Amino acid sequence: MPFFPRPASASAPGAAPAKPGRAKRRLRATGAVAAAAAAVLALSACGGPAQSSADGTVELRFSWWGSDKRAQVTQAAIAAFEAENPNIKIKAEYGDWSGYWDKLATQVAANDAPDIIQMDEKYITEYSSRGALLDLSKYGIDTSKLDEAALNAGKNEDGLTGIAAGINAATILANPAVFKAAGVALPDDKTWTWEDFERISAEVTAKSPKGTYGAAAYGTDEASLGVWLRQNGKSLYTSDGKLGFEPSDIAGWWDFLKQLSEKKAVPSASEVVEAEAAPLDQSGLATGKNGLAFWWSNQLPALEKAAGSELKVLRFPSKTGKAADTQLWYKASQFWSASSRTKHPEEAAKFINFLANDTKAGEALLADRGVYPNSEVRAAIQSKLTPADVKVVKFIDQIKSELGEAPAPPPKGAGAIQEIIKRYSSEVLFNRLSTQDAGTKAVDEMKSAISS
Amino acid sequence: MSAISELSSMSRRKGPVTDEEKRANRRDNKAAYIFLLPWLVGLVVITVGPMLMSLYLAFTDYNLLQPPEWTGLDNFTRMLGDARLHNSLRVTFTYVLVGVPLQLAVALLIALVLDKGLRGLPFYRSVFYLPSLLGGSVAVAILWKQIFGTTGLVNQVLAMFGIAGPGWISDPSTSLGSIILLHVWTFGSPMIIFLAGLRQIPNMYYEAAEVDGATTLQKFWRITLPMLSPIIFFNLVLQIIGSFQSFTQAFIVSGGNGGPSDSTMFFTLYLYQKGFGQFDMGYASAMAWFLLVIIGAFTAINFIASKYWVFYDD
Repeated sequence: MPFFPRPASASAPGAAPAKPGRAKRRLRATGAVAAAAAAVLALSACGGPAQSSADGTVELRFSWWGSDKRAQVTQAAIAAFEAENPNIKIKAEYGDWSGYWDKLATQVAANDAPDIIQMDEKYITEYSSRGALLDLSKYGIDTSKLDEAALNAGKNEDGLTGIAAGINAATILANPAVFKAAGVALPDDKTWTWEDFERISAEVTAKSPKGTYGAAAYGTDEASLGVWLRQNGKSLYTSDGKLGFEPSDIAGWWDFLKQLSEKKAVPSASEVVEAEAAPLDQSGLATGKNGLAFWWSNQLPALEKAAGSELKVLRFPSKTGKAADTQLWYKASQFWSASSRTKHPEEAAKFINFLANDTKAGEALLADRGVYPNSEVRAAIQSKLTPADVKVVKFIDQIKSELGEAPAPPPKGAGAIQEIIKRYSSEVLFNRLSTQDAGTKAVDEMKSAISS
Repeated sequence: MSAISELSSMSRRKGPVTDEEKRANRRDNKAAYIFLLPWLVGLVVITVGPMLMSLYLAFTDYNLLQPPEWTGLDNFTRMLGDARLHNSLRVTFTYVLVGVPLQLAVALLIALVLDKGLRGLPFYRSVFYLPSLLGGSVAVAILWKQIFGTTGLVNQVLAMFGIAGPGWISDPSTSLGSIILLHVWTFGSPMIIFLAGLRQIPNMYYEAAEVDGATTLQKFWRITLPMLSPIIFFNLVLQIIGSFQSFTQAFIVSGGNGGPSDSTMFFTLYLYQKGFGQFDMGYASAMAWFLLVIIGAFTAINFIASKYWVFYDD
């Protein structure tokens, strides 16, 4: 379409127009107004949430973070749901963890939140207490078959704002190929201590080619800190939403990290920083550069796929060398939540109910988001699980009797904690701060992050 | 400068204005405004509106999820005691005060070389301009990350000489330097402007100087630099404003966190983290306005100082 239609006089040279100048000008003016109007219309057409169309179809937006593998299985679950509910269309929006939360915050602020949101425990209190999530208990989602602890993790003062999508646990994953190449035996995770961890990792590094290390460094997330604190009688958070440890506790954690670094059990400070930015498929464990690494149990299948070889799930080491003292816990890997401003709460709840309770969803998702919290679905999909999934489920079952107390839920503002830990870990690794100073500063920052 | 004075002398034309001319003027103005409309709507809706909104938000506590609450100057007083913000200012100032002069020096140097009447000049000009087109892009920042990584190209070359290089972008002592280098590398657009400026200097000055027996260096100091000073000034102002706002390079190279240990935490990056990562949009808005004031002050100082060193030949 031409923006500025030529006046009739120009295209028909034979005709003799009256008042040529003015007519031309008026036409041009009309053209400009039309262009301006088009621009305004185009602008206003950008925003706006999904609407139900004239034929009664409802479109819901569903966003999650995760690997390519997760995208595949989730799309399969969506397809299964759409086949049963032809009047509901689910539009998938997914990406990496790192950009997910910035995007979600912006979308919620712009009143453009996805209808169904994959939530994490670090942020669920933040979003719930600010009224951004729907209380799902009012929309007839069947919770009778769900694991009780997992179900409770999604409950808070604002109601049931998340349905656990899976159960997982903090683990150490081992790449047997790296151990074999170095000629070092895999540790016995039922009896190993942190000293064993240090000794074995350093030995693997020493017997491996340059650039390969016995273990990945911890210090980039709060899970490994949480385990350490629990083994020392502390916790990340208290039940009244405060920080559950002192500067000296986290300093001790860093002292041991520095020790690992000095013995070359873990990569150099620079390599640690570089590894932080790498996605799961490029991680040291997947590329065979690390013998041991800290991951959530449900990430094993995706990591095995990326590594192209088998991995082994290990318990964390303990101080005493007793599996019962590792103080692990079951975590709700993530939650299904719905936006409080969704135009279609019934349909969104219906989809969440399908994901949580329908065997068809289970058959698609398997154990990608952790062990299924619904006991019936878990039993029904048992035969469909891949060997990697089976390994994860077995591990979760095995540690059941050794679990510590369930940790207090992360308070509002807990989303900032990981970044603080990361930053001070690199300050420590680069010898820019003593562990004690880093502890004091980090705890100050964390306190102000969760109190605001 | 001369174009502007010509324009103003045109409008100050002597003689009475006839009614017919007035009407024609008014018609023309109307048409002009209508043509301006699309841009004007964009400016108001996309720029001025959000700016005013952010000015309001700067005085509120706004967590993105709930309506903002008026807190007066609270955000600004908080900025006084925020050590990470002070660090981000230090990083940004280092970047601007080191990066901009370096980049302009390189741009001028290359422009001088190209101005010597090289054969195939358009080709070289395009080649040197290429980094400017690419430099701000995500792809180049990712490439930079690879080149300066612990096992990247730079260290591989160094290893040939038996030197074990650090992880240039993952070591806090060199990370900012490597981002400054990336900035210097994108010298293309000031170079093009310098090149145009060099072409404007009348040859007669150089000829006269040669007759008087001036050396190449003398010609550069006494003729080229003074004659080029308005162009240098122009580039300086633009580059300073642009560098204060630079974001993409640090965001990509550091993986979005300004690390390692905040060594590449630019002011804009911290602002972004506060606003979109930590639900502190009121504070982020206050920071944005503070940055505007800083840039405004720098530009004002630039203009005042220009009286003492910029030479206008008219």
